[in-house]
Amino acid sequence: MSTLLLSIPVLLVGAALSIALRSNRGSALVALLSQAIATVLVLVAVVPLLRGGRALSASWAWSAPVDSITFRVDGLSAFFLAWSLPMTLLGTGYAAGYLRSYFDAGRRGGSHFALLNLVSLSFVLIYTVQNALVFLLGWEIAAVAAWLLVIWDYPNQKIRFAGFNYLVSTHVGLFVLVAAFMLLHSRTDSMDFGAFGAFLGKAGSTRATVFLLLGLSFALKSAFFPFHTWLPRAHAAAPAHVSALMSGVIHKAGLFGLLRFLLLMGRPDEWMGWTILCFGALSAFFGVMYTSTQRDLKRLLGYSSTENVGIVAMGFGVGCLGWTWNLPVLSACGFSAGLLHLFNHALFKCLLFYAAGSVYRATHSVDVERLGGLAKRLPATAFFFLVGGLAISALPPLNGFVSELLLYAGLLSGNAPSSQENVVLVTAAALLAFVGGVSALAMTRAFGLTFLGNAREPHRPVGPEAPVSMMVPMVLHVVGVVVVGLAPQVGLGLSRAALQLFPVAAGSVDDVLLPLGPVFLASRVLALGLLMTGLLAWWRGRHARRSVTWGCGYTAATPRMQYTGSSFSAPFALLFASVLPALRRESLPSELLPRAPGHLATHHPDAVEKRMFEVLGQGEDFVVQASERIPEQPRVAFAAGLVALVIIGALLLGAGR
Amino acid sequence: MITMIKVADVVVLLVMPFVLTGVINRVKALWSGRKGPPILQSAFDVVRLLRKSSVYSTTTTPLFRMAPWVLLVTSLASAVVAPLLGSEPLASFAFDFVWFAYVWGLGRVFIMLAALDTGSSFEGMGAAREATFSTLLEPSWFLVAGALSLITHTPTLHEALALRVDSAAAAFVWTAAVAALLIVLQVETARMPIDDPTTHLELTMVHEVMVLDHSGPDLAAIQVGSALKLLVGSSLIATLLNPWAGESSLRAASSNLALVVVVAVVVGTFESLMARFKLKVVPLYIFVALGAGALALLATTGQMGSGR
Repeated sequence: MSTLLLSIPVLLVGAALSIALRSNRGSALVALLSQAIATVLVLVAVVPLLRGGRALSASWAWSAPVDSITFRVDGLSAFFLAWSLPMTLLGTGYAAGYLRSYFDAGRRGGSHFALLNLVSLSFVLIYTVQNALVFLLGWEIAAVAAWLLVIWDYPNQKIRFAGFNYLVSTHVGLFVLVAAFMLLHSRTDSMDFGAFGAFLGKAGSTRATVFLLLGLSFALKSAFFPFHTWLPRAHAAAPAHVSALMSGVIHKAGLFGLLRFLLLMGRPDEWMGWTILCFGALSAFFGVMYTSTQRDLKRLLGYSSTENVGIVAMGFGVGCLGWTWNLPVLSACGFSAGLLHLFNHALFKCLLFYAAGSVYRATHSVDVERLGGLAKRLPATAFFFLVGGLAISALPPLNGFVSELLLYAGLLSGNAPSSQENVVLVTAAALLAFVGGVSALAMTRAFGLTFLGNAREPHRPVGPEAPVSMMVPMVLHVVGVVVVGLAPQVGLGLSRAALQLFPVAAGSVDDVLLPLGPVFLASRVLALGLLMTGLLAWWRGRHARRSVTWGCGYTAATPRMQYTGSSFSAPFALLFASVLPALRRESLPSELLPRAPGHLATHHPDAVEKRMFEVLGQGEDFVVQASERIPEQPRVAFAAGLVALVIIGALLLGAGR
Repeated sequence: MITMIKVADVVVLLVMPFVLTGVINRVKALWSGRKGPPILQSAFDVVRLLRKSSVYSTTTTPLFRMAPWVLLVTSLASAVVAPLLGSEPLASFAFDFVWFAYVWGLGRVFIMLAALDTGSSFEGMGAAREATFSTLLEPSWFLVAGALSLITHTPTLHEALALRVDSAAAAFVWTAAVAALLIVLQVETARMPIDDPTTHLELTMVHEVMVLDHSGPDLAAIQVGSALKLLVGSSLIATLLNPWAGESSLRAASSNLALVVVVAVVVGTFESLMARFKLKVVPLYIFVALGAGALALLATTGQMGSGR
C-alpha cells in the first residue's frame, strides 16, 4: 500500500519541477520520469492483486470534516489503475512530440506536463480512496486538469468556448454527485464509503434516488447520450493526446464510479439493470448515428466514445440483470464484457486519436473532405488508423470483437427467466449488430476518405511522418489491440480480479470462457490466414503492371471528382433523416446560362443538442409568458405555486424516507 | 459417417459454388429462351482469370491488392461453420452465428476500402450503398439467428437451423426465418431485385461497381468469394427447409444439396421475372427482412416453457 501512496508525492514533485524548469525538454523529461516512477510504484502494488492477492488498505485519522481517510485497493481499483497510469504515461510521451511545433514557436509547455501529472494523480485518488470528500477532490482535480489541457490553444476563441462548455457540463455532473453524497451523508452521518455501502444495502426509496443521482452524474462524466453534447466539441478542440486521454482513460472514471457504487449497493433491483441496459443501448445507438456523418475526424471519434461507453453500459446492465436473477454465468458474461470493452476502448480509441493527431501534425487539418491519399505519404499512421478502425468496428481478429462477443454471449444466452425478457435481450443484440454495422460504415468512410484515393487538395503541403516520440505510443497501442484480440486471456486476466468482486461463482468465469474458446481459436486461424494471403498479395503485386484507375470511359477525372464524405454518408443519412437531419445552404444556378456560380453546402448538426436548446429556449419563452400573466390571474399563479411546492415537498419526503 | 460427411463437405465447398452460379445462369437463360452457358462456365472463367496477370491503378495502395484475398479467406471462414450438408459442419462452436456475421463484415469492409482506394467516384458510390445496406442486414441476421437460437435452445448455427416445426410458434418462426434469410441472401450476394450482376451501367450497381478495377487473379478471388457466399447463404435456407436436417445421414446430405440447388433456381427465377428495384426501395426491401426477423423473435414468446 505504501508503495502505491508513494506515487502521490512523486507525481506532485514531478508536476512542481516541470513547472519550475525553464526548458520544455526538461519539463517533458521530468514529467515522463516522475510518471514512469509512479507507474512502476502503482504496478508493483497492484500486480499481486491482479494475480489473486488480497486487497490492500490503509487508513489515517484526519481532522474534521474528513475524520479519517481510508485507501483501499481491491480488484476493481487494481484493474483501473493497471492501465490508466501506463496509458497516461504514453500520452505524455506523445505530447512531447505532438507539441514540438508549439515549443519551437516559443510556447512554454511546463504547465501542460504538470497537468498531465495531475491527471495521473487523480487516478490514484479516485480509484483507491474510500472517503467521499477525497473522492470529490480527485474528481475535481481530473475535471479541472482536463479543462486546462483542452484549452492548450486558448488564443482561439472556439477552443475557449469548447473548454468552457466542458467545464460547465462536468460541474453540473459534480453538483449531482455532491447531491448524492450529501443525501448519503445525511442518512449515515459519515463520509466513508463503507458506511454508505451499509446503508445502500437496505432497500428503500433513498436507495433508488441515490442510484439515479449517481447514475446521472456518472453518465455526464462518461458522456452518455443525451449528456454527450460537450464531448465532440471538447475532443475536436483539444490536442490529440488530450482527446485520447480524456476519451480513453479519464472519462472511464464515470464507469468506475458506477461499478464502485454497484458493489457498495449489493444486489441491484431489477429495474436498475434494465435502466443501465436501456441507457447504454440508447447511447450506443445515437453515438454511432452521429459518427456516420461527421467531417471532423476528432469529432467523429468523440461521438464514437459515446457509442462505446454505451456498449460498456449494456454489458454492465446485463451483468446487473444476471445478478438480480441469480444467474452467475449471465452476470459474469455481462460484467466481463463491460470491463473488457472498457479496456479495449481505451486501447483503440487512444490509438485512433493519436493517428488523427499525426494526420493533423502533417497536414494541419482533420477535415476528411479536404484530405485524401495520405496512406502513401504517412504509411505508418495509415496502418495504425486502419487497425484501430477495424478494432472499433468489432471485427475479428482484433480486440473489439472479443469484448462484443462476450456481450453477445450474454444477450443471446436465452437464460432470462421469461421469454419476453429473452426477446428484449435478443433485440438488444440486434441493436448491437446495427451499431457494429454503422461503426464499420463510419470507420470505412473516415479511413477511406483520409488515407485512400487521391489528395482532394493537391496543393496542401503534407509534412513528414510522426517522430519517434509519437510513434512509440501508437505502436504499443497497436500491439495491445492485436494481443488482446488474439489472446483474450490477457485482457480477461486483467479484469478477473475485478470480476470476482461481483457475485459470480468461482467457476463461472471459466464457464463463460470455455464455450467461447473455439471462437478465439477460430480468430487466430483467421488472423493467420489473413496474414498469409495479405503477404502473398503484397509480394505478388510488387512488380505488377500499373495504370490509371478505370474511369468508366471518362479520361479527365480529377481528385475533386472523388466520392466525398457527405456523398458517402448520404444514403445512410437519408434513411435515418429523422435522427440525422441535413442542413442545406444552396444557391443553385437558375437561368439557362447562369451568370453567377452556384454553391451548395450540406451540414449534419447534432439534432439532439439542437432540439434540446430549442426546448430550453421554448421553456424560457414559456416562463416569460407565464410570468407576464401572473398579475392578471393571481389565483392561478398561487395554485400553480402550491402544486409545485407539494410536488417538491413530496419528492423530498420520499427521498428522506 | 461423420468423417464421410466432413469429407463430402470439403468437396461441396470446392465444387458447388461454381455449380450454383451456373445453375442460376442456366435458369435465367431458360426463362429468356436461350440455351445458356455450361453449368461450370464460372469455373472456366476463374481458371482463365488465374492465368492472366493483374494491373493495378497508380492511385492504389497495397490494401487494394489484399482486399480480394481477404474476401476469399473470410468467405471460407464463414463456410466452415455453415451446415452445407444439413448436419454438423466442418467446425461448429457456441455463438458461431456471431462469428459468421462478423467475418462477412470483415470481408465487406475490405472490399469497400479497396473501392475507395481507387479514387473512382463510381466505386465510392458502390461502397456507400453497400455500407448502408449492410447496416440493416446485420440486425436482420441477428434477429433471425437469435430467434432460432431461442426456440431451439442452442447456441450453434447448425443446430438452430435444424429447427423442428412441432408447434404453431415454431412454424411461425420457421416461415419468417426463411423469408428473412432469402432477402439477406439476395442482398448479400448482390442478386436481382437489389443489384444486377450483369449490368454494365455503373450508376445503378452496388456490388459489381466496387470491383471494377480488380483484374486477373484478384478478380478470380472476388468471384470465388462471392460464389462461396452464395453457397453458404443458400445452404442456410436449405438446412431450414430440410426435413432431415441435423441428421448425419445420406438422405439429409442429399436432400440438403438438392435444396441448395432449389434455392439457386428460386434466386434465378426471381432474377428472370423481376426488375431491379429503384435504389430508394432497396432499404424498404431489407426492412421487410428486419420485420420478418422481429416477428420471428416475437413468435418465440408463444412457445411454452421457452425460458429457463
